[in-house]
Amino acid sequence: MGRTSFSITASGKVALGVDIGGLKLKNPVMTASGTFGYGIEFSPYMDLNRLGAVVVKGLSLRPRDGNPAPRTIETPCGMLNAIGLQNVGVEAFIEEKLPLLRRFSTRVVANIFGETVREYSEVARRLDGARGVDAVEINISCPNVKKGGMVFGTDPVEASKVVRAVRKATGLHVMTKLSPNVTDIKVMVKAVQDAGTDSISLVNTITGMAVDVEARRAVLATTVGGLSGPAIRPVALRMVWEAAQVARVPIVGVGGIVTATDALEFIIAGATAVQVGTANFLEPDSAVKVIDGIEDYMKRHGIRDVNEIVGSLKTPGPRANPTGSAR
Amino acid sequence: MSNATVIYNEHVGGPFFRMALRWKGRGFRPGQFVMVRVSGALDPLLRRPFGIYDVLGGRKGIEILYKVVGRGTGMLSELDPGDRVDVLGPLGNGFPMVRDPESLVMVAGGIGVAPFFWLAKGIAGKGRRPVLLYGARTKEEVRLVRPFRAAGVRVRVTTEDGSVGSRGLVTDLLDRELVEGRTVYACGPLGMLMAVSEAARRRGVKCLVSLERAMACGIGVCLGCAVKTRPHPQEQKHYSMVCSDGPVFASEEIDWDSF
Repeated sequence: MGRTSFSITASGKVALGVDIGGLKLKNPVMTASGTFGYGIEFSPYMDLNRLGAVVVKGLSLRPRDGNPAPRTIETPCGMLNAIGLQNVGVEAFIEEKLPLLRRFSTRVVANIFGETVREYSEVARRLDGARGVDAVEINISCPNVKKGGMVFGTDPVEASKVVRAVRKATGLHVMTKLSPNVTDIKVMVKAVQDAGTDSISLVNTITGMAVDVEARRAVLATTVGGLSGPAIRPVALRMVWEAAQVARVPIVGVGGIVTATDALEFIIAGATAVQVGTANFLEPDSAVKVIDGIEDYMKRHGIRDVNEIVGSLKTPGPRANPTGSAR
Repeated sequence: MSNATVIYNEHVGGPFFRMALRWKGRGFRPGQFVMVRVSGALDPLLRRPFGIYDVLGGRKGIEILYKVVGRGTGMLSELDPGDRVDVLGPLGNGFPMVRDPESLVMVAGGIGVAPFFWLAKGIAGKGRRPVLLYGARTKEEVRLVRPFRAAGVRVRVTTEDGSVGSRGLVTDLLDRELVEGRTVYACGPLGMLMAVSEAARRRGVKCLVSLERAMACGIGVCLGCAVKTRPHPQEQKHYSMVCSDGPVFASEEIDWDSF
């Protein structure tokens, strides 16, 4: 672990608590949707109480089977997935999975999605008042069946409609998870925050594919899938930094975070909290190691409260910054 | 971050290796597997699944029998005694307890023989002689059954050209063995599993298959290793996960047309 150069307080404790626009977490580390099941699956491997929050597998109105296999393929420093949003459905989650999660002190964020704006709003309505749910995270990286399958998250107008509808349907904290597959992430940030989101998480997976050259076929059954893991970290980080330039709401950074150092990159770039995703497949206790590493970093640098470093990126002088934003 | 040490990494022949790992894992059942992280690097990223081949005495650890098929297994094959890896497990459901060992027929092809050794050794150790029908394509594959014979298992080998054992496919041997009251356990190439499953179905013999799928997590959360199952009257889902619902399934549960 290394020697700490000096203690901050008599007990050596640092303050890790963060407030994401009203959603208070004991530390800035969450687990990402789709990488942590419904949380319980990881209890043999780690103490779930240590986590700031668990974001559960995306929930839809009705149960979904998901895509045919192959659904995953490893790629350099990453992986592609085309799971197809398989989930037990919002009702089964509330009845069967949520009671098990309530036993833990970690916050529970329900990731939700739909094929139409109405479906998003209906899922949110059913979670409203469900005991044990602390927030909803809107996955807008889904195809809009009413608009020819165009992804909600690539169109600011459609994304706004989803966020407004969810906002009306629930009193819970609303976090909107942005897609990186856009030309300008700032446009999406402005759209969803104008629509009333309480916070923004970014990014979801980057679209990618792989080819089996012997069979001359796409590896994934759906041809195209989502890339995640360390390979996407520089892109995700850049988008978090760009988002931070225009965001009025707190940001949660996601994308290839494996270590505490990775997490700190995002926090320094402007994220109030982070999500650890694919890393959970490498080591089930990755998120806990990130929490410990952030604490270690703070002790080494004499930082008392993690909020001191959120958005503390030192930019070169105004002349070198073309946007003129002095953040 | 590693919790296991290589005791030996023996080149069995061709692409096949047998590795013994000192590891404190507990509570194994035959047919379960482990997810091994071959290096601390970020590439190759994911753990690799390996069936538990044998359990070392004195609860020292396990043995895996593996085939080099790509980068991860390639790196594994280059490890020396004393090198460290990280093991997650035991995972999966494993084979159910065999009530009448005399009734068990194991059918395997290629590296699919790996999950049967500990099970077969245990049965043979109690004075019974279980049967293993093995389809081999290369002389290196034939070598894989030597430890089974040494342990007292009755092994019948088939090769397509008849150079070793009987000529033909392993399913040709099956007809003789598929009598009422027998149970078949099968593990190997997909075509073999489909043929065994069909033969068992026609004879009304119970058949369990151990499946393999590309896996990311191995613990039932990523939902990557999906296999399509036949519609079930009670359950709504149509996909099962090889890592957490399997890897052992009743053959009639599997929708073989989906492959």
